[in-house]
Parts: sequence; C-alpha cells; structure tokens
Amino acid sequence: MTAAVTLTGVGKIYPDGTRAVTGLDLRIEPGELMVVVGPSGCGKTTVLRMTAGLEAITDGEIRIGDRVVNALDPRARDVAMVFQNYALYPHMSVFENLAFPLRAHGVAKPEMRERVERTARLLELDGLLKRKPRALSGGQRQRVAMGRAIVREPQVFLMDEPLSNLDARLRADMRMEITALQRELGVTTMYVTHDQLEAMTMGTRIAVLKDGVLQQCGPPQVLYQQPENVFVASFIGSPMMNLVDGRVDGAEVVVAEQRLPLPANGSAAALAAYSGRQVVVGLRPEHLTEATGSQERLHGLARSAELLGAEQLVRIELGDDTVVTARLDGQTRVAAGDRVELAVDTARVRFFDVATGRAIA
Amino acid sequence: MHRYGRRELFRELGLIVAALIFCLPFYVLVAVSLKTDVQTYTEPLSLPRPPHWSNYSEAWNTGGDRGLVHSFQSSLIITLTSVVVLLVLGSLGAYTIARHSGAFSNTVYVLFVVGIILPFHLALIPLFVAMRHLGLVGNYAGMIVLNVGLMMPLTVFLYTGFIRALPRDYEEAARVDGAGILRTYARVVIPLLWPITATVGLLAGIVVWNEFFPALVFLSGSRYQTLPVAIYSFWSGVGERWNLIMAGIAIAVAPVLVFYVFAQRHLIRGFSAGVKG
Repeated sequence: MTAAVTLTGVGKIYPDGTRAVTGLDLRIEPGELMVVVGPSGCGKTTVLRMTAGLEAITDGEIRIGDRVVNALDPRARDVAMVFQNYALYPHMSVFENLAFPLRAHGVAKPEMRERVERTARLLELDGLLKRKPRALSGGQRQRVAMGRAIVREPQVFLMDEPLSNLDARLRADMRMEITALQRELGVTTMYVTHDQLEAMTMGTRIAVLKDGVLQQCGPPQVLYQQPENVFVASFIGSPMMNLVDGRVDGAEVVVAEQRLPLPANGSAAALAAYSGRQVVVGLRPEHLTEATGSQERLHGLARSAELLGAEQLVRIELGDDTVVTARLDGQTRVAAGDRVELAVDTARVRFFDVATGRAIA
Repeated sequence: MHRYGRRELFRELGLIVAALIFCLPFYVLVAVSLKTDVQTYTEPLSLPRPPHWSNYSEAWNTGGDRGLVHSFQSSLIITLTSVVVLLVLGSLGAYTIARHSGAFSNTVYVLFVVGIILPFHLALIPLFVAMRHLGLVGNYAGMIVLNVGLMMPLTVFLYTGFIRALPRDYEEAARVDGAGILRTYARVVIPLLWPITATVGLLAGIVVWNEFFPALVFLSGSRYQTLPVAIYSFWSGVGERWNLIMAGIAIAVAPVLVFYVFAQRHLIRGFSAGVKG
C-alpha cells in the first residue's frame, strides 16, 4: 500500500547550531514522484534522512499515510532507501543483499526466495544473484540497490542521488528506467538530486530548496515557465535563464539602452507599479531567436559561440556589460564579433523584484 | 616510471643486507637446535650435519617443569581465549565509541589511548594484590583477564580508527531495511570489520603468546606455566644445553611465524587503517 508523505513545518538544527532545514511544508501525494532539488548544502539530503528516520527532526511533523512518524525508528516507518553510493553489503551476494530486508522483517524462506527472484527478473538481475557487489558494474550495482528497495514493497521509496555515481550515458538510461519502474509500481517516491536535468525529466513535481528553505514546488513545466523567484529561475533550466538588469519605463522595459515592450499578459498590471524602477529581466535562451521579420528585437555583438549540433549557444553582449546567451539554430554559424539581431518572445519574459528576488506577476 | 639506476641498486642491496641481518638469529636458532651437545660448543655456527632431530622430541617431552607439551597447551588455551574475549569486547567497545560522538565517548577513547602509553609494570604490585584477593592468580581465568586488560587499549584504538573510517551508510541501510541493532552489528558490521579483526587478532595473539613477565608473575608456582616461562625454567633446569633450549624456542616461535607468513597483508592493512583513523 502506497501512502502520502506530509511534512508540516519541518525544521532541523544540528547540534553544532547549523540550521539545515527551516519550516518545510511539503506533501507528496500517493504514487507521486517528488524530486527535491537544490545545490549542495541546501538541506535536501537532510529532508530525505529525516523522512527515513535516520535524522531526528527539530521542529514540525512528518506523516507517512495517517501515522505521525516523528519518533518512529526507521524500520517501523515502512520506507526503503536507495543510497548515493548504493551501500550494498559488500560481503553478501546479490541474492543475500536483496533478501536482507525480507529476513529482517521475518519473511518466510519460500516467500523470500520467490520475492527476491521476482524482483531480480524485474530488474534483469536474474543471472547475477550469486555475484558479490564488487563483481558488478556501476549500473548493475545501481539496479541491486533499487531491487533492495523494491523487494520490501514499502509504502515509500527514498532515493538519495542514486545516479550521481554513473557515467552520463548510463545516467540517462537509468533516469528513464527508474521513472518507468516508479510509474509501474506506483509507490510514493521522494527523490533527491542536485541535477536539475534529473529533476525536470523524472519528477511528477519538483521541490526546489535553497539554504533549507523551500523556494517553489510544482510540476516541472510550471517551474520552468513560471519560476517564482530569481533562484528557481537560475537553477532550473540549462543553459540557465539570462537574468539581466532592466528599468521599467511606462509600457516598456529598457535593457542595455534597448527598449522592449512589456508583455500584454498578467504581469503588465503588476509591472505598472514598477515604472521608473529597476527590475531583473529573465530571458530563457530559447526565447531569443534570430530575427527574421518585424519582431521585438535586441541586438548586440557575439562574443563566443558553441555549436552543439542542431543548435548553437551564442553569448551576445547587448552593451553596458550586459551579456545574454541565446539558443540559435545551428545552420547559420555565428562567429565572435558578428552583429546579431535577436527576436524576443516578449510574452515569455519574466520580471523579478530587485530587492526581494520574487517574480512580479 | 623511474629507471632502475644505481640509486635503486644500492637501496635494494641495503635492504637485502638488512634482511640477512634479521635472518641471522633465526639461522643460529635453527642450526644450534639441530646439533649434538658437543657440536653446540665446537662448531656453533656451522650447518648441522647430520641434523639431530631428537633434540626436538627431548625438549617437547622433558622441557620445563612437566615437558613443553603441557606449556604449549597452556599457552594455546590462554592465547586463544584471551584473543576471542578481546575481539568481542574490544570491537563492541570501539563500535560504541566510534559511533557515538560526544564528550563522554571522547573521554573514554582518550583514556584507552593513555592506556597504550602507560607501562603495565607501574601497576604490577597493586594489580597482583587485587587479583590475588579475587582468586585470579595462578590460574587460566586470571591470566586471561590480565591479558584482555593489557591488550584492550590497543585493540580499542585500532578498532576505533577503522570504524571511524567506515561509511555509516551500511548501518543506515540496514536500519532502514528493518534490522535492529543486534542484527545490524552481527550481520553487517562484524563482516565489515574483518580486516581489522584479523590484524588485532594476530597482533594480540603474538603478544600474548610471547608474553613472559606477566606469566612469570601471575602463574608462578602453578601447573599452568606458559611456553616462554617454561623455556626460561628449562634453561635453569638443563644447565647449558643450548641445543635443547634452541629447540624449545623454535617450537615456541613456529606457530607465530606460520601465522605471520599467512597474514602479513592483513596486518599491514589493518595497521594503516588504525593509524589513518
């Protein structure tokens, strides 16, 4: 039976006084894959460990299903965890590693064997059951670690950067495998990573943490298109959103002495209050394209260009030391020093308050 | 990669000479142990021709108070039991110290380290008096308690260093997997401690096996003489029969040597882990 995980006002202060997490409210719906993402030291692993019961919480309440688990030992919480370095017991074979949680829960031998074999088949580990972890490749170890979590049929999976030890290609494969497996099993999952790409591709929803404080939580598309503050805007998306200084002037915004009309959407009304004031203007690289017609434009000199194949990332100086990255088509090569005319999709431009960093909408 | 030059040649020659110097006492030991009484004095350093193997059986059956065979047995019982008790208690103690950071466990750790430095001879007389009152003089139990106590500081030090370097993830994984403290310790921690257990076991085994002074004091007058004490009394008993004494020493040293040859790698690995700690 899968269950919701609800964190209410959860805080963590370590004995040395470090405040790792502050007032965290987060609800993971049953069967959902929630990715908790943030830079190193943001408290994301602490959140996971508190949910697992490996770390005591200082304030607040954690519920798994209807039970408050604050004071429960990890083994009483009915969660399974995948560790960053897998933590496979090195002296046990794959079979014994998979069977360990079942043994610990007193599952009878025939059932244990059956469940281990079923899990091994699911993860294509059937041929490796007798091997020791050191005789496995990184990807195989990763699967065993997943298997050890799955075999228990817990209410919640907790995953702590499980892909960070794999090479890029394997990581891409495993991203898809884990997502597919999670959907198939339908078990509530908290997945911690520092990699925004993993967050974007895997999460049903994403929770972005910074300095132990939740910045925004929502579906990947919402975080990408409507970041609530400068931090989320810069953290989600690669290459990151261009954040440049601008000044609102009536119905226009001035960026590096160049004028763009304010978007005719919801933020226009809010921006009216900012007339004559500085704002941070957020432009996604793909919303800056090569100008062909009579679109709204910015222009500048190309400083450098990276060809990625189908597209190229061009760094363009708009003036006043204002540099933006644009994701342009790879067909027409741009060289350093070229003058570039950029069409701006003004409807998608985001504006942020300079003082608070919050989105103006 | 360095080329094999003159520097390396001299270094190797130096090491070979050092090795030969270390081997010399062993050569003397074995050579003399295989000679007749006369040869022992007329040609002590030559190869024994023909080897006089009966020295070994004579030393085995008649050495010490009741023959080396009994002392061998005593040494074996004392060493094996001491080592087992030491490993069980030492690893448990070190595990607790290593995994509970706090002022109390740090203090306990420091006390153990101080115990390595303090010479046991300082406490010899009060210890002897106390142990005699407890009925722990002149028997196996007393000797085992004494050895465990003497070796415990080093054991805890080595284990603690090793455990501190061991990632906690395995134990945490076991806890989340549903294992209690005992199952985690028995099924996960103990197997992970194998390298340091081998080191400590061998080291303590060698020390206890070779121990002379504590055994002389705490087993004096009992039937449980250990090998080193037996060989000492052997010397006073047989007078100047060096060939028999050497045969006795060879018998005493053989088990240690055999162990060492098989376990060198473990010893070194465990030690470096303890020092890194």
